[in-house]
Amino acid sequence: MNPSLFSRQIAALRHFAAVLLRRPQSALGTALVCFFLFLALFGAGLAPYPNPNDQSHAVRVSPTLDIGALRLGEHPFGTDRLGRDVYSRVILGARSIFRIAGLGALISVIVGSALGLYMGYRGGWFDELLGRVIDALLAIPALVLALVLVGIIRNLDFEIGSWQAELADNVVLLVIAVLYVPVVARVARSSALDIKTREFVEAAEIRGEPTTYIIFREILPSVIPALVVEASLRFSYAIFLVASLGFLGFGARPPSPDWGLMVNENRGGFYQLTPWALDFPALAIAILVIAVNLMSDGIRRAVQKGN
Amino acid sequence: MTAPLLDVERLTISYRIGKRWIPAVRDFHLQLAPGHIVGLVGESGSGKSTVALALMRYLSSNGRVESGGRLAFAGEDLLSKSDAEMRSIWARRVKLAPQNAGAALNPSMKIGAQVTEVLGAALGIGGAEAEQAMLRMFHDVNLVDPEKVAERYPHELSGGMQQRVVIAMALITNPELLILDEPTTGLDVTTEAVILDLIRGLMAKRDTGVIYITHNLGVVAQLCERVLVLYAGEIMEEAPVEQLYAAPRHPYSLGLLNSVPRLGQSKADSRLHSISGNPPALAELTRGCVFAERCDFVIDKCRAEKPPLEQLGDGRAVRCFRWEEVTVYPHPKSNAPSVPRPTGDDSEASRRRGPAHRDRLPPIAMGGLRGVEKNTSPLQRGVRDEERVLQKDDRDTDTLMRVTDLKKHFPVARSLGDWLRGKKPAPIRAVDGVNLTLGAGQTLGLVGESGSGKTTLSRLIIGLQERTGGQLELLGMDIRNSVRERSPDVLSKLQMVFQNPQNSLNPYLSVRQALRRPLVKLRGMTPAGAEAEVAQLLRRVNLREDYADRFPAELSGGEKQRVAVARAFASDPDLIICDEPVSALDVSVQSAVLNLLARLQEEHGTAYLFISHDLAVVGYLSDVIAVMYLGQLFEVGAASDLFQPPYHPYTEALVSAIPVADPHHKAERMLLHDVLPSAQRLPSGCRFHTRCPRKIGAVCEEEAPPWREVDAGHAIRCHIPLEELSALQHSFLRREEIA
Repeated sequence: MNPSLFSRQIAALRHFAAVLLRRPQSALGTALVCFFLFLALFGAGLAPYPNPNDQSHAVRVSPTLDIGALRLGEHPFGTDRLGRDVYSRVILGARSIFRIAGLGALISVIVGSALGLYMGYRGGWFDELLGRVIDALLAIPALVLALVLVGIIRNLDFEIGSWQAELADNVVLLVIAVLYVPVVARVARSSALDIKTREFVEAAEIRGEPTTYIIFREILPSVIPALVVEASLRFSYAIFLVASLGFLGFGARPPSPDWGLMVNENRGGFYQLTPWALDFPALAIAILVIAVNLMSDGIRRAVQKGN
Repeated sequence: MTAPLLDVERLTISYRIGKRWIPAVRDFHLQLAPGHIVGLVGESGSGKSTVALALMRYLSSNGRVESGGRLAFAGEDLLSKSDAEMRSIWARRVKLAPQNAGAALNPSMKIGAQVTEVLGAALGIGGAEAEQAMLRMFHDVNLVDPEKVAERYPHELSGGMQQRVVIAMALITNPELLILDEPTTGLDVTTEAVILDLIRGLMAKRDTGVIYITHNLGVVAQLCERVLVLYAGEIMEEAPVEQLYAAPRHPYSLGLLNSVPRLGQSKADSRLHSISGNPPALAELTRGCVFAERCDFVIDKCRAEKPPLEQLGDGRAVRCFRWEEVTVYPHPKSNAPSVPRPTGDDSEASRRRGPAHRDRLPPIAMGGLRGVEKNTSPLQRGVRDEERVLQKDDRDTDTLMRVTDLKKHFPVARSLGDWLRGKKPAPIRAVDGVNLTLGAGQTLGLVGESGSGKTTLSRLIIGLQERTGGQLELLGMDIRNSVRERSPDVLSKLQMVFQNPQNSLNPYLSVRQALRRPLVKLRGMTPAGAEAEVAQLLRRVNLREDYADRFPAELSGGEKQRVAVARAFASDPDLIICDEPVSALDVSVQSAVLNLLARLQEEHGTAYLFISHDLAVVGYLSDVIAVMYLGQLFEVGAASDLFQPPYHPYTEALVSAIPVADPHHKAERMLLHDVLPSAQRLPSGCRFHTRCPRKIGAVCEEEAPPWREVDAGHAIRCHIPLEELSALQHSFLRREEIA
């Protein structure tokens, strides 16, 4: 790549960041997402008790967090009924949600956009057929479909250590990817339909360019802004879905420090005893979802302005 | 002059860009008396629409009129009016007919309701009275069947009808001032002629003052009394229309007038004058004259200080230090190049063109039509003695491309009703049996109204659309239907320049990337070789080599089109299809691109299939012209013969519709009133009979007309015998001259 091209792209990125951070809401959202991402990456070093299942503490300790005095105390978010430090568990739980939701969203964007661009550009029976399948998939509520898929795969018996078992462990991640591929594909398809009538695409056809070249070199760059927006949206929905599945008992399995699972484990009668063991993971979910939404809204605006 | 209707002095209009207010129009002035028409001419970005909006006090929130100026309408100061007062003025006294009539009408309301609504809001007239007023107005703007039109929705009307409705809407309150913002820009010449005729007729009856905004100098010459030439937000010249055209005093006006090809002017005669460079960006205006950077007459003083708008008397004013030296514009009839001092990169080429060049023109018979028989009786049909003509062609010339009976029928989806009744709807016959040959190095011009099938024909040839029938041969090889099936060899021989410069380059690829790809792909160059060739290509289209690293967003429209031309030439093709390559460009830029195309053709011997709705442009670049109507050719002939009798009645109408940039040419027009019939339900017999002003009778409705050969290579498809046609048309032209 020639240097001037590279510096141009840096400048474009910088401009994008400037527009994104100009609005306080999007700046706040972005900052919070970055904060959680930081926890996900370095949480193990930050948590006072790096083992989330360390039960060496007194049970049902109230939170010692004192915001007024800026003091964290021994158990800032208290301990649950099994004597586990809620603060450490919330911090350590960030990683799984980013891994599952982030990776799931990423896979769905990559597969979905490739599929959608091809459908949109190719058209014809291929588009027609896949379009119907996508419509059918979109008609089923995401959560219901996820429950069905997770339920089926979880109930299959695999040899321990086999790749199928490995796969089953990551079933939520895969389900998210599968679930969102049609959504992304539809966005990519409609963008491709718009771009493919542009004359520069016809100029490439006149040169006899192969389909893959036209899709990835001529069409894709113009679609990327829409895909970036879609990726951030998918991420926020995926977080919500991971938390929901965890809460319903279809996500991570105990005793892993999954936020949704923590909410589930501490509801009902236990809530009277240790409300903090439910409140803090629930708050974490809420803050992260809102933050991602604010950020994706900001990204959408920045992309529109950038053009 | 009576008391002015509009009196504008020292008007400065600014737009907010970021945090700064940038003056977009500076020191504008205008006097307009009731019943007069003044033209506002300028290229895009010159501020003409800004002026229109400011005169109405209708600027968007990021625009404002600076204090210190005067804007008086019928003696009242508009600048001090409140919004409520302005609203009552807008409602009835000042009207704007916007450029895009289709977008100006509400798509969800019937036409009648929209127009009567105006009456209700402005004058409080409703019910039957409003209905009557509306029908009268529709009648005045020559809408056929006013009652039916009122019951329709905007999308059911053609562009010309929509424009008439908008004009009717503007005139129905009997306004004192009407501002027409490019009302005919998106329309066909034939429709444009009808609308201009209408405006002229309406103004003669009323006392309305009209400001006519346009970039088309021909329209101004035909319609206006006085002209203001605007450039980069300043008045360059103000003059009565006859004087401006006879003797422009500003280098910019002179440049504009010279850069438009005149009908009958040919690439063989002279290069077009072009104004080099691009208009300045508003933010970068300097102290000096705004036109200095592009001016042929520039002196140091021009860059240092701004020339004042000097009053020359007779209502003329000019903003130039050297106006006295601006030479007289030659009479349109003469073909001598009128460039005072040739500038820019085309000068070298024009010097090289000796007088001998004319002799190198290919013989007329080379191009054009096959299947023409001399002295055919009306019963003998078009393509008959194919063999004979084919042989003749092959002997005479080296034929580059041969199109035989080319057809494209678009199938129409069956509705449920049709399906139940077992009916199949008729296809849309966009191209319906076209025969053409094109010689190497020639330009074939293709003209016709929009919807005549020009673009479809070009797309069939390039292979972006698959033909329904017919053959296509290139250099004697049969070539396949779609680009996907064609060999790289064929692909490299056929290239295309598209209409819209905004869309023809990928915004995310640099100029270098755009040009390198065809070199590597079609000419099999190594990356290093391609690199050198990119620079070479850019030089050839008069762009600096450092443009290679630019992205399309950093290029002006004309520069983008040059890159697109370079890209088309990269594979060293034999034929380039140019689909309206200059119609999206400004006049001053347009001529530079036309010159470039002419020069490259001369250097490379490339043939063009040139499509345009602008007959003068087609005429300039073409050796042979084909006139297309509803999917068929109706006349084919050498460019030099085509614009004079005898011609096909359709060609005649097209030629007569062109607004000529000469105010003395007050021609009687041959107007085509109806719209193009649908290509799904083609008229029987001669397809043109429904609109033909020279229809002779039942034979036109019943029989397809025969081809009649005027001379070698010039043929007309009409029932009227040639001698008769020629006599009719000559007498029409004579009447014109007397009038």
